[in-house]
Amino acid sequence: MVNLFNDYAPLIISMILGALLGISLYLPLMTGQLSLASPGFYAVGGYVAAIFSTKIFPTSGLYPWYLLLLEMMVAALISTLLGLVVGIPVLRLRGIYLAIATIAFVEVLRIFSLNLEITGGAVGIFGIPQPFNNTLEYLWVVLPLLIISSIILYRLENIRVGKAFIAIREDELAAEAMGINPTHYKVLAFTLGAILAGVSGVIAAHFLNTWNARQGTFDASIIYLTSVLIGGTRTFVGPILGGMMFTALPEILRSLANIPNLPLWLVGFFKDGRLIIFGVLIVIGTLFFPQGLVTPDLFNNFSKLMRIGLNKVRLKKI
Amino acid sequence: MMNSVIKETDNQPMLEVKQITRRFGGLVAVNEVSFDVHNQEIFGLIGPNGAGKTTLFNLITGLIEPSSGQIFAQAQLISHLKPHQIAAKGIARTFQNIRLFGELSALENVIVGRHLHTKSNFVTGILGLPQANQAEKQAKQKAKELIELVGLGDRLLEKAKNLSYGDQRRLEIARALALEPSILLLDEPAAGMNPNEKQVLSTFIRDLRSQFNLTIILIEHHVPLVMGLCDRIAVLNFGKLIALGQPEIVRNDPAVIEAYLGVD
Repeated sequence: MVNLFNDYAPLIISMILGALLGISLYLPLMTGQLSLASPGFYAVGGYVAAIFSTKIFPTSGLYPWYLLLLEMMVAALISTLLGLVVGIPVLRLRGIYLAIATIAFVEVLRIFSLNLEITGGAVGIFGIPQPFNNTLEYLWVVLPLLIISSIILYRLENIRVGKAFIAIREDELAAEAMGINPTHYKVLAFTLGAILAGVSGVIAAHFLNTWNARQGTFDASIIYLTSVLIGGTRTFVGPILGGMMFTALPEILRSLANIPNLPLWLVGFFKDGRLIIFGVLIVIGTLFFPQGLVTPDLFNNFSKLMRIGLNKVRLKKI
Repeated sequence: MMNSVIKETDNQPMLEVKQITRRFGGLVAVNEVSFDVHNQEIFGLIGPNGAGKTTLFNLITGLIEPSSGQIFAQAQLISHLKPHQIAAKGIARTFQNIRLFGELSALENVIVGRHLHTKSNFVTGILGLPQANQAEKQAKQKAKELIELVGLGDRLLEKAKNLSYGDQRRLEIARALALEPSILLLDEPAAGMNPNEKQVLSTFIRDLRSQFNLTIILIEHHVPLVMGLCDRIAVLNFGKLIALGQPEIVRNDPAVIEAYLGVD
């Protein structure tokens, strides 16, 4: 069992990171804003970690945990500031225009990181030190982060702020007539998503050992958009499940490609065709599951079934 | 009339519309309209289709900006404010084409209406601090009371989009009342109701005024309802105010008869 966990540790950690990025995309979506900026903040977080651990506090051996926490805090701070600076003007746009503007933001960051010296140019930054003895121990940071985000999102659905988010998603004009300041809540949701993406980036940089301009690109935006759309856009469980599923999918495809005696084109497709598959899934998903796989009704039905089941059990006992 | 007594004791108008104009390209949707609405008055706004009634509502609630002119609520200039700021000044509204939050339950819709009166923010709400929890509970309690007031007590958890048309209209009124407004704007509250329901609504609106000390402005097509319910009526035609006064005066105004019946 322990061995199995160790073998699959990289996959488990990536899946949780995927879930975190799914959530960071879901937050602005709660207010109805389709923002694809998360990978940009994720990239920024990664560079914060890379620069801190290789240039500012270079260490030999295990990277101290408190510096990891410091990096996470710095990344959160930078993401907040950047989130506000980008969010306030960009969130005046709606729908597809907002999506395009956020894609542009991600591209701008990518070009910067390709050309700046501090980010290592096209080569990126190598040899980011490990804070843990083995990969599985990354759970110590990603799991609490996932749990905290889940609790926040769960609470959010039941409090005034979350209700304002959803009201804006449902009908911005009506929400405004109820005294809700849409700009305020859109920027809040966008910035919260940015913080989560930035902090995830810090962990990902250590986890991947290297960071370069290929992290957090437009491709990544599409992958996490797919995971949120397919997972479900109406409850926070959707993006978590979607993020995990779609992080695991390329790995599954890769193992499929290793099956012997497959025709060459199929092997090639399994190895490089994941963006095609994501594209097809977006189309199929939006056609047949417009609210994603995990919908609020599914939750309600599930709890109803549970109740019926429990009653039956009780009846049998009597 | 009871209302004229109130008018004498309180001279300050609740709402002053001054020379308000709104152009859409070449079309003048609202053309230099001026009127005052007094405290706890039921003020009717009538006119043929396209006369500019809903545009006027949108101007008052800040959904669109006036091309020129000013609007004051209790002597404060509001015509440059954003809709959510105007809502905070105590002006609530319903919409002609119902705009509920369809995916939310009836209860949640009205809880959203309590937004301005619920003292809970992101941090205190997420942490569930006692004060915020208390505020959230109060919002829920108040929302329940309002839903019961409009007679939807048994549909609390139903999604708004699944309610019948009439119930949706009533839910919108409950949601607007949740803001604890001093001025309530109703955009065709009786649309789609039968004469019997209209009579019930008429009584209900009058009760609302006395229970919540409301000033009510309403748009309505059904002339008998407006005549029976309103203290004063303003008539719009092609964006212009063509008559203003008590129902019996407006009814006999030649300009109004011409606008409604046409003239050779």
